[in-house]
Amino acid sequence: MTATALQAKVHPAVEGGLLLEVADLSVQTASVTSITFTDPAGTALPGYVPGSHLVVQYGDGANAYSLTGSGRHPSEYTISVLRVDDGAGGSLAMHRLAVGDLVRVSHPRSAFAPVATARHHLLIAAGIGITPMLSHARAAAERDSEATLVYVYRPGQGAHVQQARELLGPALAECTDRGSFQEELTRRLTDQKLGTHLYLCGPAAFMDTVLARARELGWPQGRLHSEPFGAAELDQGEPFTVNLARSGVTLEVPAGISLLEALENAGKGVPNMCRKGVCGECSLQVLRGAPLHRDLYLSEQEKSANTTMMCCVSRSLDQELELDL
Amino acid sequence: MCPIAMAPAAGTGPEAGFRGVIRVSFGTAAVPAAEGSAGMAGHDVRFDAADREALASLIAVLEQARVGVRLILAGPPADVAAAAAAAAACGLLEEEVTLLANESGRRLVFCAHCRTANTTVQGVGSEVDCEGCATTLAFSGHFSRRIGGYLGFAAHAEEAA
Repeated sequence: MTATALQAKVHPAVEGGLLLEVADLSVQTASVTSITFTDPAGTALPGYVPGSHLVVQYGDGANAYSLTGSGRHPSEYTISVLRVDDGAGGSLAMHRLAVGDLVRVSHPRSAFAPVATARHHLLIAAGIGITPMLSHARAAAERDSEATLVYVYRPGQGAHVQQARELLGPALAECTDRGSFQEELTRRLTDQKLGTHLYLCGPAAFMDTVLARARELGWPQGRLHSEPFGAAELDQGEPFTVNLARSGVTLEVPAGISLLEALENAGKGVPNMCRKGVCGECSLQVLRGAPLHRDLYLSEQEKSANTTMMCCVSRSLDQELELDL
Repeated sequence: MCPIAMAPAAGTGPEAGFRGVIRVSFGTAAVPAAEGSAGMAGHDVRFDAADREALASLIAVLEQARVGVRLILAGPPADVAAAAAAAAACGLLEEEVTLLANESGRRLVFCAHCRTANTTVQGVGSEVDCEGCATTLAFSGHFSRRIGGYLGFAAHAEEAA
């Protein structure tokens, strides 16, 4: 990316953020590259909570990537990006970056923090899901808290395997096939001392399997923490109308445009962060109508109450929604 | 952190790695057999009271247990609260612990002035004379899960002498 790319409109997700320079690129595997950003003026960067992510703008879009450092007094931010050839283009743009390029990024955002009272952290990662776990493992090492990592990857395609080995030593279990992972998982889930918390990151189907197994083995919800980076692609949805009760404005939300984008286009932007139904920041009060909930933030109970919706991903079951806005 | 971890006395604890239901009763309380045991192995423990020794032995049992375990505590409010505080310190979450405190029975009133834990069978709203500093304490509804007791503070302190 060049200065030309930077002249593009600032994406709302990185507004008020930082302008950083690509300081280093390091190839991890055939499809994963690590990118290190620093402040062009050389100043230290804001610290962050382990498991935080950074939103990085590319062209008109923006993607969130997990930071891989511990977050304590960082002088640089490092992310690792898996190239997805048929994605929205964000990962390809990241892979085209060159040392010296300037990029707009958000401040680090925490949505996957370690539990302060945990007596042991059981980290489980699949594929590129290793990135937030590196952050957790580094933080645990610095804070002298206990962590174990189970890392599942395809043979020859494990990003950061070497770093994980150095960080964790015998506390790292590597699995390169489904069968050995299932065995390892059952063994780990049935042999954790009280006070252990589980942290999980990987493709959605992988996380569903692990969470289901954990619940089956008696793990309560409060011990399970997952980073849903691989949120399933959402369809374009049906067009609908929103009535903004307080401002007396009616807006059309066409298919393929989110309610959040429609509000922003009409100059009615609302606070938001992840823009993928995870963080809960863009919550809106619904006065009338039934939303089509597609977020991962609200509980089933909250969804069925139909009084709150996440406007970045959710749409409407009814022709019209009335919002308290 | 678990405050005191002792090796369990031989023959008293469940097997190492226990992930079933630990049913603990204090005094004459009984844990209903059906409570929370849906298809899970059970382990019963009975203590006269949640004194230091009983709590140490409960902690030792919990140290042997593994995630998946559930704990049921039954008995007088003071004993159930003390055991719940010990369980929380061992890392058990609220959703893993069922409290079956008797409606009446001994409760702990913690003196805000001399930090003595007074045991009383009176209820919230009554007055209790502190065993540590003799202050007449108002037995308030403020409950500390960590201490396992209620706040007591000088009653009538704001009345003209």
